Amino acid sequence: MIFEMKDIVKTYGPVVANNNVSLHLNRGEILAIVGENGAGKSTIMKILYGLVRPDSGEIYVNGKKMRFRTPSDAMAAGIGMVQQHFMLFEEMTVAENIVFKNEIHRGPFMDMNKTVETVRALSDKYQLKIDPTARISECPVGLRQRVEILKILYQNAEIIIFDEPSAVLTPLEVDALLETMRQLAAAGKSIVVITHKLQEVMAVSDRVYVMRQGEVVAERKTADTNIEELAFLMVGRQIVNRVIQPVHAEKTLLETKDLRLTEDGREVLKGIDIHVDAGEIVGIAGVSGNGQSELINCITGLTPVTGGQVLVQGQDVTNRSVRAIRDAGLAHIPEDRYVWGSAPEGTLEENALMGRQDSEPFSRRGLTNHGRIREYARKLIADFAVKASSPTQKMRELSGGNAQKLIVAREMSLDTPVLICCEPTRGIDIGAMEAIHDRMVKKRDSGAAVLLVSSELTEIMSLSDRIYVIYEGRINGEFKRDSMDDKALGLLMVGGAVNHE
Amino acid sequence: MGIEYLASVFNTILRQTAPILLVALCAGVCSKVKVFNIALEGTLLTSAFFAFLTQYFLRNILLSVLVAMGVAMLLTFIMSFFIVKLNGQPMIVGMAINTFSLGFTTFMLSMIFDTKGTVTITGENAGLPKIALPVIKDIPVLSTMFTNLTAIDYAAFLLAIVMYIIMYKTVIGFRLRAIGINQSAASSLGINVARNQIIATTLSGAMIGLAGCLLSLGSVTLFIQNISSARGYVALAANNLCQGHPIGALLSSLLFGFTQALARVLQNTAIKQQLLECIPYIATIAAMAVYNAIARRRAKAAKL
Repeated sequence: MIFEMKDIVKTYGPVVANNNVSLHLNRGEILAIVGENGAGKSTIMKILYGLVRPDSGEIYVNGKKMRFRTPSDAMAAGIGMVQQHFMLFEEMTVAENIVFKNEIHRGPFMDMNKTVETVRALSDKYQLKIDPTARISECPVGLRQRVEILKILYQNAEIIIFDEPSAVLTPLEVDALLETMRQLAAAGKSIVVITHKLQEVMAVSDRVYVMRQGEVVAERKTADTNIEELAFLMVGRQIVNRVIQPVHAEKTLLETKDLRLTEDGREVLKGIDIHVDAGEIVGIAGVSGNGQSELINCITGLTPVTGGQVLVQGQDVTNRSVRAIRDAGLAHIPEDRYVWGSAPEGTLEENALMGRQDSEPFSRRGLTNHGRIREYARKLIADFAVKASSPTQKMRELSGGNAQKLIVAREMSLDTPVLICCEPTRGIDIGAMEAIHDRMVKKRDSGAAVLLVSSELTEIMSLSDRIYVIYEGRINGEFKRDSMDDKALGLLMVGGAVNHE
Repeated sequence: MGIEYLASVFNTILRQTAPILLVALCAGVCSKVKVFNIALEGTLLTSAFFAFLTQYFLRNILLSVLVAMGVAMLLTFIMSFFIVKLNGQPMIVGMAINTFSLGFTTFMLSMIFDTKGTVTITGENAGLPKIALPVIKDIPVLSTMFTNLTAIDYAAFLLAIVMYIIMYKTVIGFRLRAIGINQSAASSLGINVARNQIIATTLSGAMIGLAGCLLSLGSVTLFIQNISSARGYVALAANNLCQGHPIGALLSSLLFGFTQALARVLQNTAIKQQLLECIPYIATIAAMAVYNAIARRRAKAAKL
């Protein structure tokens, strides 16, 4: 046993990120920690790496009790972490990046020849091919990750932590990464990989911990388990059922045809065909980062698409301006309420007006009508029970839930036939959540088409008439309300396949 | 126009370049560690004043130089501390030091010397000693080219090379550049970024002190209100052109030194004096415009 964590507890205010987590790692082993977003797996690794200090609990490395204050402490104890966001010096060479902080020098001078030589030897030893003299800015993502790994090896780390290592890689790079992990383990290094990609877990790990809501809920030998079991353990949650009267779906109001998007050479959307009909709520379920944000940005005109079509009420709006798309009959509650949804420094009035500033009765010939705007803001605030002291208050002074309610109020009162809701209830309290859900159902009952994107599976399952499962930029499955199955859904979300009878 | 005349123009260029170069080298260190130092002008003016003051009353040139360096380091430290540790807006912090410096030196000038005009030091050894190079002083044209230069003038050009070696060949320089490129990466490896930034900028501030000595104790030994006359900003522009590279700073400072010399050389021609005084500044704007146009085209090309 090379390291062990015992009864780790970490809370952030009222949120318990880790509740009595205990785990251990054996020498030369590849250990996977899986769980959905927010299950607490990143927190536990940050504690191990000294980035976060636990409220209670103990850490042992090689049987010795440790207390890490900073990542340097962890590094000194032989623990290295390949972060999700690379920490590299873009304008410097691979070799310079690897030796930073432990430079090879002759007196006060850098010994570049020896540096390059050492890095080359290191790269040969672990079969991690790189060009020591290449500049980082010229390296693709896969190579940058390799540099991060070499950086850790250069510091003589015995334990290497990978935090969602495949999130940014192309499929070919993922294969190379898995091979690298195997080689490192064979060379005697101990590896922890945090991920929610179950195929990779099955392919590379020896042992798996499953985390859910801050706790370790299961430990399995990889050989003794399968994707289905892990997916079930990961998702396995209670579904709140909301009574929704089925509405007869009529005409299609929102449709995408073979929608494609390529960003920085990566195919983010690989031909998405979805449709949302009048009087239905359609959910898009998926682990975040599988293309749902990009899909919404493409539909709403925030990102130009690479191929395919977007139709709103049968009208082709592909790559039209955001304005034109909204005018075609679409409203959008964006994912991030302070980046896209509102201007935090603006007043409630200004935020309530946004998008309608050019139209009567709020303005005429370029001059705004303050009386009308205030009246309208007051109406929205009252109708949606936004807790605010005055319409001239600043948006950022509202609590998250109330700010969200105002954004929902603004977008819903546009009375568009299509409404897109992205993470409409992320990080807000239950009261506000219920209120927003009620409004969404009301909207649907009035014959609108509602597209819901949420990383909260419960939300999608309780509200949607139909669900699309998105995985790696593709629709990996579709459910009707009466045939929903959380196990199958969880499996599809992590890339598995389900036999449809 | 004789060759002797050209040699004297060359000499003027060197003397105009040296202070700008010293300040630009300091600006280079600051920009490499990502501390935007716009307080160069005020720091230069204040250190020129204290160099003059010390020399006026104590007649100790070494002490005067040390005082100027100390004052410049102190002001640079204050600038850097406010920006790095207290999260001050670099623009505001820098302008505060600049306006303070102009007001403070003007006020002290009238307090101590009871004048708003010029104060001079006369007599033997009034300013920095002029160095006569051994063999060169006997060769006609060469001697004119290198006449009347002080140790600090030579030091300026030498420092450009020294700074290049420090920044690009030593471990310290490597770390400083790395900090400037990606602060969070450096701190993730356990480097105290703020401390490195403050120490590096403060030490480099000493070079502004040397430049200050050149202004008030160099070719002339006098102090007048606003004696730095925007050389700090010109140095900032020079540093911008070379992206903080010391050898680049040498070249771009020479360019600006040339324009300043040009303004002086043309003094006795038909061209209006006010127009001539604009030359260095017009050149600054032109150089920045050309540079930005090139940089933008390059960025575009890199994106495609």
